[in-house]
Amino acid sequence: MAAIKIDYKKELESASKGMILIHDPKLLIKLIVRSIVQKVQLEHAGMILYDHQKNSYVLAISRGQAGSRIPEGFVRFDKSNPLIRFFIEKEYKYLVANRNALLSEDINKLLWQESVISNGNGTKKLLHDVSEQMPRLNAVACVPAYHHHSLLAILLLGQKHDGGRFEQEELDFFSALASDVAMAIQNAQLFEDLKREADRNRNLFIQTTIALGSAIEAKDAYTHGHTERVTKYAMAIARQMESAAVYQFPPKFFENLYISGLLHDIGKIGVPESILTKKDKLTFEEYEIMKTHTTRGAEILAPLTGFEECIAGVKYHHEHYDGTGYPEKLKGDEIPMVAAIIAVADAFDAMTTDRSYRKGLSKDVAIAEVEKFTGKQFNPKPAQALIELFKKGEL
Amino acid sequence: MAKLLIVDDETDIREFARNFFKKRGIEVITASGGKVALELIASDNPDLVLLDVRMEELTGVDALRQLRQTNQVTKVIMVSGIEDEDTINEAKSLGVVGFIHKPLVLEELERIVLAELNK
Repeated sequence: MAAIKIDYKKELESASKGMILIHDPKLLIKLIVRSIVQKVQLEHAGMILYDHQKNSYVLAISRGQAGSRIPEGFVRFDKSNPLIRFFIEKEYKYLVANRNALLSEDINKLLWQESVISNGNGTKKLLHDVSEQMPRLNAVACVPAYHHHSLLAILLLGQKHDGGRFEQEELDFFSALASDVAMAIQNAQLFEDLKREADRNRNLFIQTTIALGSAIEAKDAYTHGHTERVTKYAMAIARQMESAAVYQFPPKFFENLYISGLLHDIGKIGVPESILTKKDKLTFEEYEIMKTHTTRGAEILAPLTGFEECIAGVKYHHEHYDGTGYPEKLKGDEIPMVAAIIAVADAFDAMTTDRSYRKGLSKDVAIAEVEKFTGKQFNPKPAQALIELFKKGEL
Repeated sequence: MAKLLIVDDETDIREFARNFFKKRGIEVITASGGKVALELIASDNPDLVLLDVRMEELTGVDALRQLRQTNQVTKVIMVSGIEDEDTINEAKSLGVVGFIHKPLVLEELERIVLAELNK
């Protein structure tokens, strides 16, 4: 029975293209193993992958007829496993060199090879153990995949449906495919490690942020809880804007707003305590120094890449919608939304809490103030959202 | 012939293990969950049970706890995917003859199961 002729070069090319497009290596291998089973008409195909966390090899993918499949992630192979040893130990590499694969039908021939006989019982025993392993894995051929001389994967190939043998051309194709897959896995693993590291750094940074935020509070007892409340109000405003569909937030906006809220007064670390806690009205000079907390905050955070939106929130949360604020007298939509939201939240909290120089206003009086300065001090979108939250009784 | 009960909610695992042990001359029965497993232990009296810890309906440890209320003799090997100290300790306190962690080494599975059945 003649199998359908396959253009291996073309298949390899399309598989390589797939590898570039698919970042999830598990999915990629599943697709490849499945297409091998279908196109080459095998009873079973599987892939053993190196798992660098477990420091061993795991049968990760298995496709084919029911009963021939091996449950995925169920079976592990340590480095002492004969099949793994056969492919990782240098002294056996020459045995498969011209085949690019180990076929069970070759093992008998190999056992009678001069070099194996002269090598003594070690090699013989290993080949024997390997020939016992392969049927357990429903494989008649094993194709190794290396990357920089380390074994990353073994492609397991089962019987062909028509009982036919594997041609060398097919084995070469599988070998090329397997090394491409190994490369893709290696890249994906590196990428995932990097991503995990980045996430870890980001989380670490958020925790540091919270700690820094409380450092400001410690310096200025009168604003106790201010940062936390402003962050809470700002998040509520943004959610209200989103649910009322008045503003389309970019990805990560909420996370950035959260960080920015916690950090918006971080620059006060550089403002003398005598000014921060002064009971009387600030002099012109003192007020000028107080105002620098916006730019100081931005300077403190400037070295952090990827936090530009948070930094903008810190720097511009005292800008006014009509262009009369500080530090840059930005106007209208020139003021980043993250800053415009914090500005409303900040002003509302400042009005409703007791300060060293005055008692706090009631919430309805403060809301009336926000309403009055909408379009002047405040961007109407977040201001309106705050008013709506108040009406709903959610403040 | 020795009788082995395999309890796992994954079909592929049950079928693979069934074939694996059948080839070694062991009679295999399977259950897809803890409840069926308890019924099968009562009706078929297997020599050994391979019991998966994590299952949707009635977990392995819960099934083991129920079993031990009336039956102290049936030998059980727990198969677990997670290395959770509490689970391991509780299972041990309920009486198991072994613990196997997934992903497992086939030779080890074979050795442990055959050793128990030949005792």
